[in-house]
Amino acid sequence: MFSTFRLSMTWLHTWFGLVLGYVLIVVFFFGSLSVFDREIDRWAIPETRFAPQPMPSFDTMLAPIFARMAPEPDELKAAAARVKGPLPATLAPMNWGAYTTHRDPVLSLYAEYAVPNNPADPDDHVHGHATLDPRNGRLLPDDQLKIGSEFFYPMHYGLNLAWKDLGYWIVGFAALVMLAALVSGVVIHRRLFRELFTFRPRKHVQRSTLDLHNLTGVVALPFHFMFALTGLTVFASIYLPVSETLLKPQAVAAAMADAAAKGLPFKPAGVQAPLASVDAMVVEAKRRWAARGMPGEVGYLYVNHVGDRNSTVTLYRAGSDRVTLVGQPIHFEGSTGRVLLEEPSPSAVASVNDFLTGLHLQHFEHWLLRWFYVFGGLCGCACIATGFIFFVEKRKRQHAKAGTGGARWADAVAVATVTGMLVATLAILVANRLLPADLAQRGDWEKAAFWGAWVLAAAHALWRSAPVRDARLSSAWAEQCSAVAALAFAAVALNWITTGDHLVRTLAERFWPVAGLDLALLVVGMIAGAAALALRRRAGAAIAKSDPAASTVDAAEAANA
Amino acid sequence: MPEALLLAAALLFSAGGIAWLALAMEVHWQQAHGSATGPGRRTATALRVLGGAALLASLVACLVADHATMAVLVWVMSLAASALLVALTLAWRPRWLAWLAPWARRA
Repeated sequence: MFSTFRLSMTWLHTWFGLVLGYVLIVVFFFGSLSVFDREIDRWAIPETRFAPQPMPSFDTMLAPIFARMAPEPDELKAAAARVKGPLPATLAPMNWGAYTTHRDPVLSLYAEYAVPNNPADPDDHVHGHATLDPRNGRLLPDDQLKIGSEFFYPMHYGLNLAWKDLGYWIVGFAALVMLAALVSGVVIHRRLFRELFTFRPRKHVQRSTLDLHNLTGVVALPFHFMFALTGLTVFASIYLPVSETLLKPQAVAAAMADAAAKGLPFKPAGVQAPLASVDAMVVEAKRRWAARGMPGEVGYLYVNHVGDRNSTVTLYRAGSDRVTLVGQPIHFEGSTGRVLLEEPSPSAVASVNDFLTGLHLQHFEHWLLRWFYVFGGLCGCACIATGFIFFVEKRKRQHAKAGTGGARWADAVAVATVTGMLVATLAILVANRLLPADLAQRGDWEKAAFWGAWVLAAAHALWRSAPVRDARLSSAWAEQCSAVAALAFAAVALNWITTGDHLVRTLAERFWPVAGLDLALLVVGMIAGAAALALRRRAGAAIAKSDPAASTVDAAEAANA
Repeated sequence: MPEALLLAAALLFSAGGIAWLALAMEVHWQQAHGSATGPGRRTATALRVLGGAALLASLVACLVADHATMAVLVWVMSLAASALLVALTLAWRPRWLAWLAPWARRA
């Protein structure tokens, strides 16, 4: 099809990069935000603006809350359609879990409840969730949207497209293409090492955009490669669900053999038994971790076969000082509190998998590395955005001459994804501060603000894209940069007005979750404002050049109109 | 606090190391010194050795500061950030890099 290998790689890089780039930039951007998802949650839910808390007492605080928890109503409704006859009034809990990290002031709890009488699936179950304030055991209202961890983070790995897990598959395919784009990019780059540090901002746009594309791509190449790869391994069980389909009997048999080898009961005994003191088990677990030379806190607490004689309690150490998320699990017999098994160090394969997962999900305590991840993610965004601009710059004159609209469309979609995404992200933060606190389904309104703003931005990008037809710059870029600046400053101002947490206060208290986001918003606002000014000046200069009769002032006004 | 100091040192070593490696390249040496000639073979070798040693020192500082698994990630990312920093310095303020090779400063 192509005369040389490099040409075929160029074709692959150009077209797959363009089409999947629109998805990848979303993944990169919301991935970068997810590095600070918990901090964004604090900004969005002002009553949770307090210091991170350790795992609270199970016996006095968590046990009664778990006992009161109930399955999610929409999951119950769906389950009722799957079973023969009516669902029982209350479902028995199968297991309880509580997870926390060194960044969580609030504690997330979840439970699984057995759904009986499903002929198709004897293990059918539904979930329940709760979030509590560990200082006093008060539950948080569940219609409050945790914008960071429940909206931006799912956006990163599934685009918030829940239907048939379509979002997961699109992101997974994009990650695969990302790997291909990196390899083909290295192949087609003529002077990878000789031009490693080359950025020529004073050359023409096409040249300097390509420089910036190469720079942000090559400099962070290890990051881009490892994150695309580990992103795929984290969700390997979704993309290749063999243990749930083809190999399910073998997978179940392996799990049973594993449980038997470890002396852990695989199934409930069917005999009720109370739970011994979990707090005593926590003391014992911490003693054992300290004895292994790695003292730590409980990161994950899991009770299996709740209320049964075969119940077990597993305590995992929080991996704040390691790349691995949680580890060194110790299993206790629920009814007696006796240690059943202290798991030995994982095998080499398991360690590698834990490292790759932990590398991507980063729950460790290392602020410098977190910021480096944001840097890597934003390099990815810059690389993709400059890729779009290069694509358009390279073609727009030819297309203008030939009268075809390809470059115009590519540019409009690029505006909609690059600046439109920023507009939508800031819109949800502004909506979060503007909507009344007692509004029913407040979270849904916030999401509506996000999608609504994005749709408007896309429509605006299309509407204002006409100049590209004449090989000029779309006015939508500058206008949306202005919108981004205005929204970013508005978000900071609204946070001050509605909560009283202005930067002087949050910085004095060193409350970084809110101070950090406010500072980041100010920086975004300033960069976007400067970009808008520069783009307007450039558009004005271009018009003045093409029409010497028009004065510069008139031209600038025309560009603004 | 010593951990923060170690990481700061790691960042400095990494930025310096990358800058020295860049200066060993003819075109960037010319940008930094505003001269038409390159660094000369001996100077280029010296710059490469210096750059490599600084990057190694940066890795050692990372390894002392954190668990090895984390240290490697910090180091690799610091190289990426340093490379971007050096590239942008070369684009906007190339003369600043001449301070890193004071023995070879020319008018």
